[in-house]
Amino acid sequence: MKILVTAKRVPDPEQKVKVQGDAIDLSGMNFVVNPFDEYAVEAALRLKESSGAVDEIVVLTIGSKDVTQQLRSCLAMGADRGILVEGDDDSLDSEQTARIIKAVYERESPDLLLMGKQAVDGDNNQVAQLVAGKLDLPQACFAGQLELEGDASAITVGREIDGGMEFKKVPLPSVVTVDLRIVMPTAVKTAGSKDNQEYAEGPRYASLKGIMQAKKKKIDEISVGDLGVELEQWVKTTSVETPPSRSAGIKVESVDELVDKLQNEAKVL
Amino acid sequence: MFKWSDSHKQLRMMLRKFVDAEVVPQIDAIEHEGAPPYDVLRKFWKTFGIGDMLVGEYKARRKKAEARAAAGGSGSGGGEAADAGSKKKPDPSAALDQGAMRALPIIELSRHSAGMVTALGVSMGLTPNAIIARGTPAQQDAYVPALLTLDKIGAWAITEPGSGSDAFGAMRATAKPDGDDHFILNGNKTFITNGPYADVIIFICKLDRGEPPERRKIVSFILDGEMEGLERSKPLRKMGLHGSPTGEIFASDLRVPISRLVGERVDDEDAGSARDDAKKTFTAERSGVLAMALGMIERAQELSLEYARTRVQFGKPIGERQLIQLKLAKMEVARQNVENMLFKTIESTAHGEPPDIAAASAGKLYAAQAAMEVCLEAVQVFGGNGYMAEYRVEQLARDAKVLQIYGGTDEIQVSQIARSLLWR
Ligand SMILES: Cc1cc2nc3c(=O)[nH]c(=O)nc-3n(C[C@H](O)[C@H](O)[C@H](O)COP(=O)(O)OP(=O)(O)OC[C@H]3O[C@@H](n4cnc5c(N)ncnc54)[C@H](O)[C@@H]3O)c2cc1C
Repeated sequence: MKILVTAKRVPDPEQKVKVQGDAIDLSGMNFVVNPFDEYAVEAALRLKESSGAVDEIVVLTIGSKDVTQQLRSCLAMGADRGILVEGDDDSLDSEQTARIIKAVYERESPDLLLMGKQAVDGDNNQVAQLVAGKLDLPQACFAGQLELEGDASAITVGREIDGGMEFKKVPLPSVVTVDLRIVMPTAVKTAGSKDNQEYAEGPRYASLKGIMQAKKKKIDEISVGDLGVELEQWVKTTSVETPPSRSAGIKVESVDELVDKLQNEAKVL
Repeated sequence: MFKWSDSHKQLRMMLRKFVDAEVVPQIDAIEHEGAPPYDVLRKFWKTFGIGDMLVGEYKARRKKAEARAAAGGSGSGGGEAADAGSKKKPDPSAALDQGAMRALPIIELSRHSAGMVTALGVSMGLTPNAIIARGTPAQQDAYVPALLTLDKIGAWAITEPGSGSDAFGAMRATAKPDGDDHFILNGNKTFITNGPYADVIIFICKLDRGEPPERRKIVSFILDGEMEGLERSKPLRKMGLHGSPTGEIFASDLRVPISRLVGERVDDEDAGSARDDAKKTFTAERSGVLAMALGMIERAQELSLEYARTRVQFGKPIGERQLIQLKLAKMEVARQNVENMLFKTIESTAHGEPPDIAAASAGKLYAAQAAMEVCLEAVQVFGGNGYMAEYRVEQLARDAKVLQIYGGTDEIQVSQIARSLLWR
């Protein structure tokens, strides 16, 4: 069984975003793997480790050569091979991204396309659904739990809904996106999982050995042209602005003062 | 010239992420409330697979040494000593990675706790190395892997109330033979890192067979933390380095079998002795100090830069004042120098030419003084805030002082450097 995981590079969400003109200023930004994609890599590794049925985990990213660094960090966690589709990840919209992923899917024919539910930069949450549509594959989004069948013919996806969990069994191959809960200690199960098997919560840190071995793992570099994908931009960014800063709060002395301010200053009463 | 590669930088980011998530939240408990650092250190080691990696490297070295010994060489254990005798030079690129992988965890942890690094270095460095250098295969099997993985905490005890810089000359602790296969140990050790909590203690003393003290051989024993005849103090109160519990150890008529004597025999006459091993240990400690100093300097500089940009007095950020700029610039000079020294050590070691004792001493002397100066100046940049624990630079300053004292004082480094220049 082969798992294809997608991983996007995003500006470190812990940094402050600077706006310059009509765009976000990316100079001097630190980049990290989109957290939800990192969870997808972790989920793939857990599937591989406990099932014994997964032969290869391939991580796909689209971007400039610099993105190799983020790709290597997925390989350092334990993924087997990388694919870098060279392109300008800033100007890609969901449609273009989906077309590229579809083309790579067709080259690789994996049994499972595992993706983060969304990238934390644009927060679009569209690509997986578009890819599944284009490939006419079953899709199950926002997985908080995964359980792989013993013969790897299907996967049961648990998703959080109001008041509980909902479980859907999808035949493989299919497209699955993961949510935050997929990295809880017992979120991923296979026929080979031990009864009390628990992982440390969160995506794993790459071990020292893993980081050094990642240097030797293969990364295939492909151009959009090689894939035969036509790129037309559907979504254009017209302007970017920072939200207005909020004025500082005040402390009121009494309830009367509060009511007065709500009535006369905030005009909400 | 060696510099951090992309994978080294990546490793660094990972280490930092771990330290920020797992160590920093515990720092106040460890630095100010006396909580022992070992659980966090174990988690650190396990998360990155460092212990297993070290055990793997150790086993490979030992196997090579044993193969050489079987082929007629003079193999003694699997230590660095055996390695140095090898004709084959190590593969430089793998060796560079190895050097970087040793230094980076120290650098990243030193940014927040030089104490934890000290506790770590003594436990998985000095202590197992003493056993690797001269221990029998059975002794190595029993202790070395468990120390490398931090399953067991180790301590290495040479210093005594009356013998510090003059570690061998003034040493009073003794081992007296008792029958053919036992010894009786007596002596007081002090300033022993991990002493209060160690599971394994290397106790260094003089073999007393009735000869005058200056002719006695230096020997070392492997003790357990809890034994009849062995007492340990609580952690001593210190100026800094609170992440590292330091204590006293007292042996009184402690009777041990010869199986606890490292090597299980006394090497008569100059076939090398525990004295040489202890000297090698000093050299190893010295390169560790380079990495520690670098982590501390980087952190002090980073904190100072941020403060200089944001602290406004007299209507301007203090960073616009030349007197503050001078401090920041000097920090950068120190940082570059220490980093270069570390790079050079990693590179020359990878090419099979580790620094000799004079070069190691010069590096330690410079790095310790640079760290002390930078961290004190960081306190100055922060003014009153610098004196307050919350801003972290006071801890760096208190901790940096120890680099000038342990692993051989500045004065001892000076005399070693000078002697090697004058009478080489
Ligand atoms: C936090 C901490 C942890 C330690 N951990 C350990 C440990 O795990 N195991 C262990 O065995 N020891 C440990 N030590 C002890 C350490 O190695 C000694 O403190 C150090 O070697 C100095 O010895 P001393 O303290 O007796 O000072 P002394 O040797 O008494 O020195 C006092 C002063 O005299 C100077 N001086 C001494 N001799 C000369 C000379 N010939 N020429 C010029 N000046 C001289 C020194 O430089 C110093 O300034 C630790 C110490 C500290 C502070």
